[in-house]
Amino acid sequence: MIRALVARVEQHRKFLPLSATIALFVVVYLAGAYSFKAMQDGQAFFNLFVTTPFLIICVVGETFVIVSGGIDLSVSGILALTTVVAASLINMGWNPWVVFPVMLLMGMVFGVVMGFFITYLKVQPFIATLAGMWLARGLCYIISDSEVRIHDSLYTTLNQTKILIPGLADPVTKKGDYISYLVVVAMVVLFVGMFIAHLTKFGRTVYAIGGGNGANELSSRLMGLAVNRTKVLVYVISGFCSALAGITYSIYVGSGHGTHATGFELTVIAAVVIGGIALTGGEGYLFGALFGALITALIQSLIQFNGTLSSWWTYIFIGGLMLVFIGVQSVVAAWNSSAIGRARSGGRAGRKKEVVWYRTKAARGGAVALAVVLVAVVSINVVLPAMFPKTTTAVCKAQAMRPDQAKALSQGDAVIVYERNGGTTCVEELYAIYADGRIVSDHSDGNPKTTNVAAAQVTKIVTDITNQGWFTTAFYTTHHTPCAACYQYSLTVKANGVTKTVDAVDGGTDAPAAYWPITGQLAGLLGVQ
Amino acid sequence: MNVSFARTWSKLTESMLFLPIAALLMIFAFDLIAIPGFFRLELKDGHLFGSVIDVLRNGSPTVILAMGMTLVIATGGVDLSVGAVMAIASSVACIMINPTITGMALTDPGLFLKDPQYSWAPLWMVIVVPLIIASLCGMWNGMLVSYWRIQPMVATLVLMIAGRGIAQLVTNAIKIIIFNDTYAYLGNGWIILPFSLYIAAAVFLAAWLLTRRTAIGLFVESVGINFRSSYYSGINERRIKLFAYTFCGFCAGIAGLIATSAIRTSDANQIGLYTELDAILAVVIGGTLMGTGGRFSLLGSAIGGLVIQATITSMLSFGVPASAIIAVKAVVVIVVILLYSEQAQKFIRGVGSVTMRGEAAR
Repeated sequence: MIRALVARVEQHRKFLPLSATIALFVVVYLAGAYSFKAMQDGQAFFNLFVTTPFLIICVVGETFVIVSGGIDLSVSGILALTTVVAASLINMGWNPWVVFPVMLLMGMVFGVVMGFFITYLKVQPFIATLAGMWLARGLCYIISDSEVRIHDSLYTTLNQTKILIPGLADPVTKKGDYISYLVVVAMVVLFVGMFIAHLTKFGRTVYAIGGGNGANELSSRLMGLAVNRTKVLVYVISGFCSALAGITYSIYVGSGHGTHATGFELTVIAAVVIGGIALTGGEGYLFGALFGALITALIQSLIQFNGTLSSWWTYIFIGGLMLVFIGVQSVVAAWNSSAIGRARSGGRAGRKKEVVWYRTKAARGGAVALAVVLVAVVSINVVLPAMFPKTTTAVCKAQAMRPDQAKALSQGDAVIVYERNGGTTCVEELYAIYADGRIVSDHSDGNPKTTNVAAAQVTKIVTDITNQGWFTTAFYTTHHTPCAACYQYSLTVKANGVTKTVDAVDGGTDAPAAYWPITGQLAGLLGVQ
Repeated sequence: MNVSFARTWSKLTESMLFLPIAALLMIFAFDLIAIPGFFRLELKDGHLFGSVIDVLRNGSPTVILAMGMTLVIATGGVDLSVGAVMAIASSVACIMINPTITGMALTDPGLFLKDPQYSWAPLWMVIVVPLIIASLCGMWNGMLVSYWRIQPMVATLVLMIAGRGIAQLVTNAIKIIIFNDTYAYLGNGWIILPFSLYIAAAVFLAAWLLTRRTAIGLFVESVGINFRSSYYSGINERRIKLFAYTFCGFCAGIAGLIATSAIRTSDANQIGLYTELDAILAVVIGGTLMGTGGRFSLLGSAIGGLVIQATITSMLSFGVPASAIIAVKAVVVIVVILLYSEQAQKFIRGVGSVTMRGEAAR
């Protein structure tokens, strides 16, 4: 029974990476839906598409390049250049419908030039597309140093129109699950790509020339396939997709700038690898690449739903997943070579001598690699702390903020209520400052103290804070888990009959920058450090 | 024009150093004509200043990275993760100087306010531990490439993507500012010349001794040319590869320490960004073949690193805006591609053979 199952899997092993990708997506999605209620909403699923149409489009182009045995790093550069040029042309008064084909042509020209370098001058794809990326990014800054906003009715329509999903939305009230036009474009690109890859002569040539460490390309050439033309065309397709992704990106964010999508090429390549496409070329399916892109989006949204994990965990997870998929691929490769060995040694007769795939060097190497990870984890968590014992006292337990008490004070006569919590000694200080210069400080030790400053000082500080824009949108509450020695702040200011509270945490870069001069000024008034 | 010229010419052009030195001379010639005062040197407080010194100083991290990268590329691989490893090393160094953000309360919370020179771990440890961790990162890449047989570009891509996340994780994404002057000396110190230049020279010397005064260099070249036949002739090609990647990680660690001490901050997002590309470019300019490996030239790579920095510095002093420098780099890559293509190589060699043929006809 198990033997039959293994034989069946072995027979269809070329689908193993693809099915692993899809299975991973389903499992992660279900796990997410189980832990986060918000994920159970249908829209959470459609949002994976709505937030990543440009990723899906780029992944399609990159897949063609990687299957042919190359690599394209210029994706993010061409994407950024497209956003800048499109934004500038539209601001010059061009019709967007004229701009779009011009942009697509520009992307294709980039592709032709890079393809020419790679095919005819025998330059490494890595180097040639790197030059393309740098050139495109440099051109962005030459065209415009600052962000170019796009104000165009077509852009707004394309970005904001919701296409309701039949059956999951109510067409009368226009509420329910939706996707955007950009998603439709991405899906069309995907299906056209799948058609080209699997049902045309060109697509089969792309698969033929990839893989085998360059040997397959030579064989294809000897077979009389149009290798040179195919290699150039592959980069043209990728350039086209990058430019199209640039257009969708500019629609999505409504602007053009040279810093858009920095490092995006890595996300694209990672999505392709997670999609089960071998970076050695010749293997993999566009359909898997779609799921690769969706898994990347899924990880991002899971981290957002989680709330306590920071965004850089995305990269750690993606790197780990890449490792897993590289492992899957080497298992398949080991399987393939053992199958070839079996065929050579005469079918079943040679079976006894054959090396079982899980006893191959690749599998052993995997075990060694896992052991290294384990050792690294153990040494970081156990050995290093033992080697460097903490010569310092443990962190004190952070005390809770007192929002109710603060609220009560601000509803009373206090003009400023300032609460500070945390630091290396875990203080919990609540100050109420009154218009007459009275300051009541409550350090949560049941012993409130009252001090006095000049009333003019209080008036001045309230005016200063107001002038900083306290009651405008420039001040907003931010919150994240504070680092151990950081302070959490909550500041309520009352002026001209308006009350506003803004909370912030040290150490983050997310709080409004003008918040910190204000806390500094308050510290001066209160005589604390 | 005579036979001896043709012979010298062919000897010259066959040398791996010909193109990098020619490129550097071309850039300096441009500077001599177009930028007045480029070669002016000033001695202030016993420190030598000038544009050329700037080239040497800013180029030294690239040169250091290029040393490790040369060995890796010579074995037929590539290491994309050096930028991320730089970020990891710098984060580790900063966290060892000031670990308060990890949740560790110091016995005296005001320690950093009273004494800015305070460092939690002893300084030698602040240098050694990041280097060990960087070497381990390099070793991890080497394991994947040599023992797990993963394509080098793919294997190192994993750490390139995850590494920056790990660096953020170490410092909890907080930029730790360093006040310690001794540590800052690595990137900011001067002994007549910038201190980082001495470090670069030391790394170059170590790499040169390691590869040219022992058999390792020969083994690296033979593994790059054909790893299978090297294996059959008794070279442990896996260990050679593992060594090359580990050394590359070590070099990235040094470059990371210099970078973080130069700006006195741990900035996991910016430190080493795109430097892997600079390092690879330096090696390619230096004449080591990417993808196929084989013969390598450490001096060529070092000059290659200086070529990149010299171009950037001259363009900046020529008045090109800093944001457009990346386009200049792209032009450098394109020129290099064209110069190193078979067609151009044939043409350069041809200059000599034409004169030789002319002599024969006469």
